Amino acid sequence: MTHTFDPAVRDFLTGRIWLRLHTPFPTETIDAHISSKHIKTIPGITSTKARHFCNRCENDNPSRFTTFNCAKCQGPCTYCRHCLKMGRVSSCTELISWNGEPPTYATDHSLAWQGTLTPRQQQASDELTNSTAKGTPHLIYAVCGSGKTEILFQPIHKLLLEGKRVCLAAPRVDVILELEPRLRAAFPQTAIEALYGGAESTTAAPQLILATTHQLYRFRHAFDAIFVDEADAFPYTADETLQRAVRKAAKPSAPIHFVTATPSDKLLADIKRSGQVSTINRRYHGHPLPVPRYSTLWNYTKHIQKGILPKKLITWTTQCLTQQKPFLIFFHTIALMEAAEPLFQQLDTRIHAVHAAHPDRKEHVQALRDHKIPGLLTTTILERGITIPNVQVAVVGAEQLIFNKGALIQIGGRVGRSVHYPTGDFVLFHHGITYAMDAAKNDIIQLNKGEIRI
Amino acid sequence: MNECLLCQQAIASTPSWQALLGLEKQTNICPDCSKKFQRADNKEESDILDRITSLYSYNEAMREYLHQFKFLQDIRLAEVFADELRTSLIGDAIIVPIPMHPEKKIQRTFAHVDELLTSARIPYMHLLEKLDTVAMGEKSKAQRLAMKPLFAVKKGTTILPSTYILVDDIYTTGTTLCHAATVLKEAGATRVEAITLIRAER
Repeated sequence: MTHTFDPAVRDFLTGRIWLRLHTPFPTETIDAHISSKHIKTIPGITSTKARHFCNRCENDNPSRFTTFNCAKCQGPCTYCRHCLKMGRVSSCTELISWNGEPPTYATDHSLAWQGTLTPRQQQASDELTNSTAKGTPHLIYAVCGSGKTEILFQPIHKLLLEGKRVCLAAPRVDVILELEPRLRAAFPQTAIEALYGGAESTTAAPQLILATTHQLYRFRHAFDAIFVDEADAFPYTADETLQRAVRKAAKPSAPIHFVTATPSDKLLADIKRSGQVSTINRRYHGHPLPVPRYSTLWNYTKHIQKGILPKKLITWTTQCLTQQKPFLIFFHTIALMEAAEPLFQQLDTRIHAVHAAHPDRKEHVQALRDHKIPGLLTTTILERGITIPNVQVAVVGAEQLIFNKGALIQIGGRVGRSVHYPTGDFVLFHHGITYAMDAAKNDIIQLNKGEIRI
Repeated sequence: MNECLLCQQAIASTPSWQALLGLEKQTNICPDCSKKFQRADNKEESDILDRITSLYSYNEAMREYLHQFKFLQDIRLAEVFADELRTSLIGDAIIVPIPMHPEKKIQRTFAHVDELLTSARIPYMHLLEKLDTVAMGEKSKAQRLAMKPLFAVKKGTTILPSTYILVDDIYTTGTTLCHAATVLKEAGATRVEAITLIRAER
């Protein structure tokens, strides 16, 4: 084994599991590192008689594999359709990962965040730091707007000072986009990289990685600690391979911490078995969470489809417009929202609708932040992670199944986050009251009373 | 319950007598995804081609479909338009897919036009061979028109004085189809038609 290698290759590949033919380096460079055993190769798909297994995303669901007659390897070849969008992994594709000594990460990091933590935040932060040191998983169960991100700063800083590698993951790209500038500002000296579908990849050695949980398919035994923000968000809870991806991206002994305002019963049960929980039931500014109010909106689907905006919606929207308060109106389907969009535009032409696949989603949300537009119609994609001062929130069709307890609590959590505007309207327009609506309302009232269920 | 090949969502199916008796059409994409494709059913003709039929127009959904099928090499997507291709290709004419250069085929690991036909269960014959590796998409119209012959009749095959149908994935300027049709007609074909999945405007 020779001792010459390219540090750039090492920095890029450490902790990653990558397609051999799709690296930012020339093929000869990669080949040379493979023959000097600095890089090891792994077959893309491991197949036994009983099942196929993707070595990148660890998918083993038979319906997500396709076997065909491959012109390259001249025989039956199986590929994984689960992680296809990251470049196809097939039986004749090779994956590579770094096999040599890992780089030494920097140990001088400054924490530039100037704010102070409330005593409750401080306590949670200390408990989280302790759990990290012990290597046990920890759940921060804190209400929306209690300053969860700030709680993470100290534990992350401590890990970075020890030269450890840290990942802050979230299931949704919106959350990552919101976190990125805050973390860059808090850790100005640290090599930070944000990874999400469509993000530019750099070859520097990032020590702190912000990533959507999907991106963790491409990591393996990389991190000394992973913090999963908004751990209950779709698709993380629904997709078991994402949970495995997070486990795989962490070093075998590294703790995986969770941060959320609405933990599922399963997450609470899992953590109680093996780890610690810190709870915060007050917002950082000390004001209570906004309690939802119900308002009937009978047959709203029919009215909107006929091209008539229900009167109550007109009144509510006009009120926001005249008082110049930004607003978000949640819908349960894209179809209904897009049918309502032109009707809302009759009140103000600048009102837009956004959803997960909307091409201008990022721009519209930014425009709302910059007060360039008065309000947005949205699907549940904006239910979490977004902070807009003085925002007013309405849910159209709160009785729909998609608005479960967690979703409603998160949506209400958008209201009154700013210390300057600690209150705001949170209205559920409905065609009948569901258990989820009552459960969300009761939970919020309980939290405001200082009781927390764990 | 099967999953949509494009969006991976479960396709909701209501139990019915047809399904029980195996008469119901098997769908492999969900209604939402299927709605995004726009039927064109475009028919044209040119000096050399007696008829060019295109099934769909080129929109955003189709762009994404082609990207996933050809560039992300998701061979499974050949099934998506199988029924539609089958309906439009049933007949006695000899079906000739536009061939790929062998090197290009190894690169992609499959020949996409062949796969479309295989999924549609349409028998076809490779009568042509591709002479050049350059992709059409990389050329301007002027460049395309001034090109040397792209295809030749495969050695050892004879072209009969009958009808041939060329099949390709996309018809943009028509250069590829014209080249292929010219070669077939020079070799003795009486009538050459073409069917493409997509009609794109340049």
